[in-house]
Amino acid sequence: MSLTTMIIKMSEGLTRTCAIFFLTLIFSLPLGMVVALLRMSKVKIVSAVTRFIITVLRGTPLMLQLLAVTYGPYYLFGATVARNKLIPVVIAFSINYAAYFAEIYRGGIESIPIGQYEAAEVLGYTKVQTFMRIILPQVIKRIMPSVTNEVVTLVKDTSMAFTVSYQEMFTIGKQIANSQTSFTPFLVAGVFYYIFNVIVDYVMGRIEKRLDYYK
Amino acid sequence: MKKTVLILLTLVMMVSLLTPAAFAADKTFIMGIDPEYPPFSYLGDDGEYTGFDVEVCKAVCDSLGWKMEIFGVNWDEKLVQLDSMECDCVWSGMTILDSMKEAGYVISAPYYDNTQVLVVKADSGFKSSKDLAGKIVAVQLGTSGESLLNGDLADMAATFGNVLTCDSFLKCFTELQGGAVDAVFVDMPVAASYVAKHDGIAIIDENLGAEQYGIAFRSGDAELCKTVDDAVQALVKDGTYAKIAEKEEYADIVNNLLFLNSEAK
Repeated sequence: MSLTTMIIKMSEGLTRTCAIFFLTLIFSLPLGMVVALLRMSKVKIVSAVTRFIITVLRGTPLMLQLLAVTYGPYYLFGATVARNKLIPVVIAFSINYAAYFAEIYRGGIESIPIGQYEAAEVLGYTKVQTFMRIILPQVIKRIMPSVTNEVVTLVKDTSMAFTVSYQEMFTIGKQIANSQTSFTPFLVAGVFYYIFNVIVDYVMGRIEKRLDYYK
Repeated sequence: MKKTVLILLTLVMMVSLLTPAAFAADKTFIMGIDPEYPPFSYLGDDGEYTGFDVEVCKAVCDSLGWKMEIFGVNWDEKLVQLDSMECDCVWSGMTILDSMKEAGYVISAPYYDNTQVLVVKADSGFKSSKDLAGKIVAVQLGTSGESLLNGDLADMAATFGNVLTCDSFLKCFTELQGGAVDAVFVDMPVAASYVAKHDGIAIIDENLGAEQYGIAFRSGDAELCKTVDDAVQALVKDGTYAKIAEKEEYADIVNNLLFLNSEAK
């Protein structure tokens, strides 16, 4: 197989890799905030249950969660397995990443001194106003480096989708490697992932700069 | 008179449209393959799936008027993916195991006699499995070679120093060429095609563990299995099967194809 064919074939997979990446971010970033708020709930049972769910999601391999989301419904209820594998893959990734993002958000929110809440109360801010206008802008700024970390990891984690036969870039690379008995596809995959992450790094850096509003 | 004939013909056509046969003609048959298993099923030079099993399946679908789709399974999860209707069969150099039959899967007539061999470095001086006592042997995860080393050939495996499982045969061979392992235990056709392309490695002339390849269908699909079996036999009779097998890229496997060699006898 010529290098050109190889790159074209793997680029087809790259569009699917991008689909997992962007859809996962779109769903998991807000979902993480919901989970973080539930985790910090004053109602004991809510925070305990959320905490348990987070330990499960962070304590089991993503590969296992992909299998569970894709094939679990079939074995439990006889439901048909989604033909379009993107759906279960994005669901599994979003839930998993939401758990990680939730803990990052929580760390950020809890790092804001309690005095700020008290000051806001004195100034007549409501609870929602305090959170949205005073706390959240600081939190977002503080957690950006940790979020970037997760986003970069997500780029590489997309290769896990091969577990359920979703034909993303690395799956195709593996197929070419074994069909043509050559290691070149792995090199191509490495270059693709690196370029992808350089772009991610640049974009996240720009966002961090934009958020430099307290200096 | 003409009018009556016309009406009758129209009726016949309408009825034939409604019969199951007409529905069957529109059937889409989803073939489950391991896209990493040359020469049975793999990504060809043009980036499309090809291989002996793929070509035979294409011919079968053509003869039955079915549309064919290919689904690349994750070999470790192939039976889960078959069960969950993602493909209609697993047809990809698959070893027939008793455990599959016991689990209720319908298996086609065996079509290939497989043997397992040991591949070593050409200059290593190893001549038989006995020479490998205390040495490190690599095997691919989830292959019949691996189950043989844990089952029928456990005695032989016990003489090895260590058995290393890799997740693809390419990694097994790279470990061998890189000097990390002393031998690779692998299916004969895979070994033959790899040795043909790479210098410095050789196959030990000793057949270990005979087994046969077949096609797996879901437990309820005995009828589908028979249809495919019959269609394959028809291809054997009209020579299409032999024509596919004669191709250069299948030279390593042609001698072990059961349908062709039983005909010769």
